[in-house]
Amino acid sequence: MTEGSEIGERIRSLSPASAVAIRMNPREYADDYFAVLQSALKERGDGEDVHTIYVSVTNPCGLVWSIAQALDVSPDRISFVDAISHTMMNYREPLPNATYVESPRMLETIMLRVEYLLRRHASARPMLIIDSVNSLAIHNPQALLTEFFHILVNNLKSRQVLTLLLIVSEDTVSELDQLVSLIVDETIDVVRPPG
Amino acid sequence: MVTATPPTESRPAPPRDRCVTGIDGLDNILHGGIPKGSMVLLAGAVGTGKTTLSLEFLVRGAEAGERSLFLSVTESSVKLTENLSAFEFFRHDLLEAGSLVIVDLPDMYSRLGLDHEELTTEEIGLLTRSILALVAETGAQRVVLDSLTSVGYRIRREERIRDFMLTLGQGLNRLGCTTLLVSEVASSEGRYSAHGVEEAIVDGVILLGNASRRGDILRVLQVVKMRGTSHSRAQYVMELTPIGLLMAPHLKGNRPEGG
Repeated sequence: MTEGSEIGERIRSLSPASAVAIRMNPREYADDYFAVLQSALKERGDGEDVHTIYVSVTNPCGLVWSIAQALDVSPDRISFVDAISHTMMNYREPLPNATYVESPRMLETIMLRVEYLLRRHASARPMLIIDSVNSLAIHNPQALLTEFFHILVNNLKSRQVLTLLLIVSEDTVSELDQLVSLIVDETIDVVRPPG
Repeated sequence: MVTATPPTESRPAPPRDRCVTGIDGLDNILHGGIPKGSMVLLAGAVGTGKTTLSLEFLVRGAEAGERSLFLSVTESSVKLTENLSAFEFFRHDLLEAGSLVIVDLPDMYSRLGLDHEELTTEEIGLLTRSILALVAETGAQRVVLDSLTSVGYRIRREERIRDFMLTLGQGLNRLGCTTLLVSEVASSEGRYSAHGVEEAIVDGVILLGNASRRGDILRVLQVVKMRGTSHSRAQYVMELTPIGLLMAPHLKGNRPEGG
């Protein structure tokens, strides 16, 4: 278990060629989520030449971008693959640093947009954040999702891309936890200090 | 005399030189590229990316020092150039240097007096010779005819289309050209060309199409046939991006066959 204050340190120390699940508590989701974004985007993402590719399936990228702006993240350091705005009919003001996928069911298109952004930012050290495994699971059958993660994560690991999979987990071990455990090298459970 | 050399028939055929398309995903699928000198049918329905794939094939070739020729029937060279400008891989200097040549085939029809609807056998011969002369003149090593279907409308008869393709294919092969023939087919037809004879003549068939996943449409590519090389026969999802075509495996998710 990792306290909020320790997450930054854990994420900073991760090897580039690794895939890591970051498991958040549903009852503390908002605070956990902010702590994770702060750690990933600011503390790891601020590192030299790091470029973050953020796949947003839970919230439209505009919302994530507003949090990133509050954290003083430079728009040159982050690109979005937004797979939810079209589905939520929330595509009126596209961000210049975002590419929009019509549906979270178009998993191959998500893969290809990630590939596109990796090539566009080939000179940077890449980090991929998928937000979240739960949201992708709402829209896709588990077998398809397992295949998607297997191909994407292994491909990225071989190319020295750090991949963070955000997951909101219940106390009991769910099917999603099992799926994620097949793919990642380690899981970080977020526990913030009381008070 | 006893020799350690195995009989000829048991020796593997030497690998053929490849025309590296420059489209990463396609070269991977083809285990290194299209065998040089092949004539390949690029078949697909409207909006599946046939012209874009063809143009990238030529631009990548021109960049690599292989002169490239696009014979356009359906779209004007001006419009094609405008469309190409949207892609970051396109370079105007390739056109200016003559490394990439775009020719409006209707202009050739007019010049040869072939403006009428149905061509005779002699006129088909004249058209074939003119195309081959143009290829020789430009020194093209990569050629795209967009589309074979449109030319086929003016040839009409199956046996004449067969003769046209055989003569053109032999001529282009002699000139060392690797050729893509664009074929427009409706997705429901279940074949790769307008007459059905074209796919038997060519060395390869690349099929582009649309796959539906619960109402969402994905562009897909599949190499159905390619003589002279092993290749993947799996289906891939294709994305047209500003930096060129990108491909990923088409996920199945334990979907039952045909599902």
